Amino acid sequence: MIEEARHFTAELAVIGSGLAGFAASIFALNRNIKTAQIGNTGAIAYTTGYLDLLGSLAPDYAASIEDPWQGLELLRSSYPEHPLCRIPQTDIHTAFEQFTGFLGECGISYSSPGKTNARVLTPAGTLKPTLCMPATMQIGTTAFSRQEPCVIIDFKGLKGFSSSQIAANLKDQWPELRNTTIEFPDMSLGEIYPEVMARALEVPETREKLAKILVGAAGETKIIGLPAILGMHSPDLVRKEMEQLTGLEIFEIPTMPPSVPGIRLREMFEQLFPQKGITLIPQQKVDKLKIEQDGARLFLSDSFGPITVDAKSVILATGRFLSGGLEASIDGITEPLLNLPVTQPGSREEWYREKYTDRRGHEINKAGIEVDASFRPLDNNGAPYSNNLFAAGVILAHQDWIRGRCGAGVAIATAYKAVEEVEKYLS
Amino acid sequence: MTEKPTEQTIETEVLIIGGGVTGAGIMRDLSLRGIQTLLIDKKDLCAGASGGNHGLLHSGSRYVFSDLHSAIECRRESTILKHIAPQCIEETGGLFVAVAGDDPEFAENFGSKCEPAGIECTPISTSKARELEPLLSDRLFKAYRVPDATVDPFHLALLNVAHAEMVNGSSFRPHTEILSFICKNGKIEAAICRDNRTQSTITVRAGQYVNAGGAWAMDIAHMANCKDVNLLYSKGTLLVSHDRLTTHVVNRLRPPGDGDILVPGGTVSVLGTTSLRVDDLTTVKPTVAEIDINVREGTAMIPALATARYIRAFSGVRPLLQSADNADDREVTRGFALLDHSSQNLSNFCTITGGKLTTYRLMAEKTSDLIAERMHNSKPCQTHTTSLPDEESCRWTEPGASPKYWYRANDPEDMILCECEMVPQSAIDEIITDAPGAEDEMNLEAIALRSRAGKGPCQGSFCGIRITSHLYDRGHYHDKTGLIHMRDFFNERFKGMRTIIWGQQAAQMELAEALHCGLLGLNNLEDD
Amino acid sequence: MAEPTIPTINFKEKAEELLPQGASFESCLTCGLCSSGCPASGIENMDPRKFIRMAMLGMDEELSSSKWIWACTQCKRCQHVCPMSIDISQLVFLARSNWPQEKKPAGIVRSCQLIQSTDSTSAMGLPPEDFVFVVNDVLEEVRELQPKFKNLEAPMDKKGAHFFVNQNSREPMSEPDEMVPLWKIFDIVGADWTYSSKAWAAENFCMFSGNEKAWFEVIRKRVDAVNKLGCEVWLNTECGHSYYTMWNGINRFGMEVDFKLESLVTYYARWIREGKLPVNSDWNRKNIKFTVQDPCMIVRKAYGDSIAEDMRFVTKALVGEENFIDMQPNRSANYCCGGGGGFLQAGMTEHRRTYGKRKFDQIAATGAAYVLTPCHNCHSQMEDIGHHYGGSYGVVHFWTLICLSLGVLGENERTYLGPDLLECI
Repeated sequence: MIEEARHFTAELAVIGSGLAGFAASIFALNRNIKTAQIGNTGAIAYTTGYLDLLGSLAPDYAASIEDPWQGLELLRSSYPEHPLCRIPQTDIHTAFEQFTGFLGECGISYSSPGKTNARVLTPAGTLKPTLCMPATMQIGTTAFSRQEPCVIIDFKGLKGFSSSQIAANLKDQWPELRNTTIEFPDMSLGEIYPEVMARALEVPETREKLAKILVGAAGETKIIGLPAILGMHSPDLVRKEMEQLTGLEIFEIPTMPPSVPGIRLREMFEQLFPQKGITLIPQQKVDKLKIEQDGARLFLSDSFGPITVDAKSVILATGRFLSGGLEASIDGITEPLLNLPVTQPGSREEWYREKYTDRRGHEINKAGIEVDASFRPLDNNGAPYSNNLFAAGVILAHQDWIRGRCGAGVAIATAYKAVEEVEKYLS
Repeated sequence: MTEKPTEQTIETEVLIIGGGVTGAGIMRDLSLRGIQTLLIDKKDLCAGASGGNHGLLHSGSRYVFSDLHSAIECRRESTILKHIAPQCIEETGGLFVAVAGDDPEFAENFGSKCEPAGIECTPISTSKARELEPLLSDRLFKAYRVPDATVDPFHLALLNVAHAEMVNGSSFRPHTEILSFICKNGKIEAAICRDNRTQSTITVRAGQYVNAGGAWAMDIAHMANCKDVNLLYSKGTLLVSHDRLTTHVVNRLRPPGDGDILVPGGTVSVLGTTSLRVDDLTTVKPTVAEIDINVREGTAMIPALATARYIRAFSGVRPLLQSADNADDREVTRGFALLDHSSQNLSNFCTITGGKLTTYRLMAEKTSDLIAERMHNSKPCQTHTTSLPDEESCRWTEPGASPKYWYRANDPEDMILCECEMVPQSAIDEIITDAPGAEDEMNLEAIALRSRAGKGPCQGSFCGIRITSHLYDRGHYHDKTGLIHMRDFFNERFKGMRTIIWGQQAAQMELAEALHCGLLGLNNLEDD
Repeated sequence: MAEPTIPTINFKEKAEELLPQGASFESCLTCGLCSSGCPASGIENMDPRKFIRMAMLGMDEELSSSKWIWACTQCKRCQHVCPMSIDISQLVFLARSNWPQEKKPAGIVRSCQLIQSTDSTSAMGLPPEDFVFVVNDVLEEVRELQPKFKNLEAPMDKKGAHFFVNQNSREPMSEPDEMVPLWKIFDIVGADWTYSSKAWAAENFCMFSGNEKAWFEVIRKRVDAVNKLGCEVWLNTECGHSYYTMWNGINRFGMEVDFKLESLVTYYARWIREGKLPVNSDWNRKNIKFTVQDPCMIVRKAYGDSIAEDMRFVTKALVGEENFIDMQPNRSANYCCGGGGGFLQAGMTEHRRTYGKRKFDQIAATGAAYVLTPCHNCHSQMEDIGHHYGGSYGVVHFWTLICLSLGVLGENERTYLGPDLLECI
């Protein structure tokens, strides 16, 4: 069959469709760098919507940090190799501002990066520190800090989200918290996913029906918390309308995967990036990457056949094990695309501690690739692999994004820095 | 747990210490003779070697070289169990295979060694063997078929207990640990126990005391000042693959060694085992070195083991009777011992230990004979002829069974909580009300032990959350303890994952930890 | 006669065989993204994750006989959202193929039989001579009644024509005037095209019925017909699955062809860009709102987002940028409407409408008065769920709107226009 080969060119190729990849494309867009972003869906659909900068500190990640900026200073003195320590605070702040600003323009408003972490609700009824949160989740934090009466509402048929559980775990810190269970309108089949509810709430009629039920469930209370279901494409609008219809203040709590906030981000990026001129091939994994002095070529293929992308520079934002940026085998950890050296514990016995919830975290989480001051990955000799190859996100060594609660921080800040270096390189 | 420790006294005819298959078997055997018992375990059913093995119902062929007596015992007992407890057994059949590098003479003699033990052993061509098991190595040079089978020890123990409870109201208490005995005039007067969840003290007054503590039997005997139990501890480490790789039990045809048996376990396969002498029972856990040996050795037999996705590893400790100074613990007698402790000046105490899963019924019979005789009960043993009846609440341990029940019921309201193994909420509800050892605020490990929840690729990382929510919704959990139960469950599941997290499991683990620690902050719970 | 039984498939083994390593069933993280975003979740108490897990747990009998495989439209959205890219639809196809003919949904089987019954490969069984007659008949009428098009042509079996154009049977069979707008478009752009009297039809229910052999036969006939006329491009009409069945079939069966497969949508876009098709949105004075439905078969399952961009470009040119409201989610992330996979012919109306409720909601959320879609199955399903759930939107073909915009839409070519659109003419 006769098929035309598909070929794209760009100044920058971002490999990876996670938070770091998307952030890199946004920053590149802001700098007018012609960008192509490639890489299959990684962990983005699993994100909660919370954007953490730095929530806990090594060695025991115990107390949650109130002031992440001061936390960064502490990190700098105790753990200078941490990727966040290699970026000026003002740049990190700008990065968060640009990133959340972009999301806001696209219909998912965020709280702007402030001086302190907020304590936000989790579906288990615990609290976690985060820097920025979607506007749909903000009321929960303020209601908690003001100790206002509130009802958490869950839905019959929604698994893994129990308002009784949340209330039971928070009641000693939030005596005015109650809970109840309702049925989502017009859903006949037993099990119901947050995604289904969120999409249904994009329809005005469904909003009206649910609003009536919510008013009944809230009783005298004026603030209600729901699982994250307030719309998929236009959460700000859905929340506003629901508040108008009910006369209540409404907030969302993220759910366990598959959860709505991650899908929201993914769909929004996938839809808006092409409109903004980014060549986005989000569903395909890059099979091969050839880096040469004056440029790079990416090889991939989709169901329609082979695709090649030529770019002057590359940002590797391929993530960790979940997204395929790192691979763990019985013999050790490797980086599959370029076989970059991976800093890692000496043996598999050291990957994990004996106890899962050991406060110190697991050594494997700090494995990753090394970069120089310009965020260029290093080769086996400790020299930059190439002048036009940069890296960003949690593939970088010397950070435990899970325990440090700095996943978004590492992704956004390093993407910002890498794009800055790309711009320097291109000019 | 908010209630204060309380004290309680329980009276029973016989106290059985140790909820392995042997203890459960004794419980049932005695109940069928009309004797009332209390079975206790410091953890739960099958917490020791009964749950920490291949789940292999030996035809006996494994022992034909080293221990003819054991081989014959296995042959007889496996035949009985296939009749009385077919619901716990899959008659997979077994293969013994030799691959290039193995001793040809040993392989050649195998058939003739099986004969005196009465074990049906048929030599087959290597091509036939590979037809039966396509994943077998092409470097095979000798193969036999034997009547090996697999057995689900959890189902077996649960059914034994359930039957005893039904027959005469005998009862089982999990998380009840023996602390000491009060002995007087050559008799044990009472056993002082502790409920490890409530920390309350329980005094048990019984006529007879049976020590079925397995690897812990020596420690328990010491509490009664009995010095006649001498055990060696042999630790074995096994790993579980995501898929079932073979339909038959596959044994390596060579003197017993590491990684030489691959046993199908319903929907998975279990590879093992290593053998390591240990002195301390408290720190038994798989090591990376043991895992690597198993994989490396197993690969010679089944090359696909090198690339298989593994989801779990576990270790068990075999109590071996100290009799000879053998170099390899696999050579130590696999027989069992019943000690009546008359030499230790106690007339109402006995210890049963050693042995193996396949002969648990015989061990229970011999023990029960002794107890019955001491109690002047002349009813004969019935367990070799009386079928083990089914009990609804015990059926959830069988791999692949819960989705079948669920699918047939076709009730959209009955949601699947463990998506990997497809355990519906009705199963959880049934277990928490009716299963042996059921209690209101049952923890997730106890539920998982009585079902397949948490046994699939995600190893409970998602269903732990869903089941916890469900238990809050049902009112079983009502305060922060529920979250502690959830955290403890993840910690417990992790013990089995720690050494096998590579490949796909590294992705699974990253997602789990991001959820449990990154979002929920279970690493920061206050009581930790 | 004894009731035929459904043989049992070993799904785990087949998954290993059919799916690439690292993207097979054993790679599943059981996260549930697939089921969360699948409109068939809950139908027959099944969903994609359950399908994978049941396969892994050896529930081959249940899976082999589950009716759910006829409710799954094989739209591949589950694979699209799966971080491991696991393709369940291939196993669903296998399960379909495994059902004895007598047990398969009669409507799908019947359509496949009809396809095989004539050289037309028409699912409605319209023989070549009837097709030729209808085309000529309609053509004559147009020439007669529409003076602007007195020289309109609908070439038949024209050797060496650039485009070999296929035709969904529905038009010649039940609404022949609906063929005319496309002929006019070809006329206006000056396309060198032809119909074929043989293998002219677009649809392929043999693929939906899981009958691989029949699928191959249909494609072979179509390939032969194109080769025989020596056309450079097989141009697919506004019909989603006809493109997929041809494109995928040629690859699947390893056929050698020396023509290109193209979709009409891309040519609409090209002709508009080149100025050959001078459409504009001036007619839409009332700012009637439009949305588009991405047919899974040509977007997610074949071309990817590029064709979806073409669709939007064409739509915006036709209705005005401000009158286009995108459906959410869209492009490769779109939801199947429930008309795919032969669902419309499967006789499972209640299930199909349950499935379609998601699409209905998505259409409702846009608030658009019309849905444009280049797919007949999407078209029928969206009309049906619209009626069923009390929607007020209409569904239109692109060709209708193009001709409307160009002011050349004939009296008999306005079946799908509501009063608001009729007023704009």
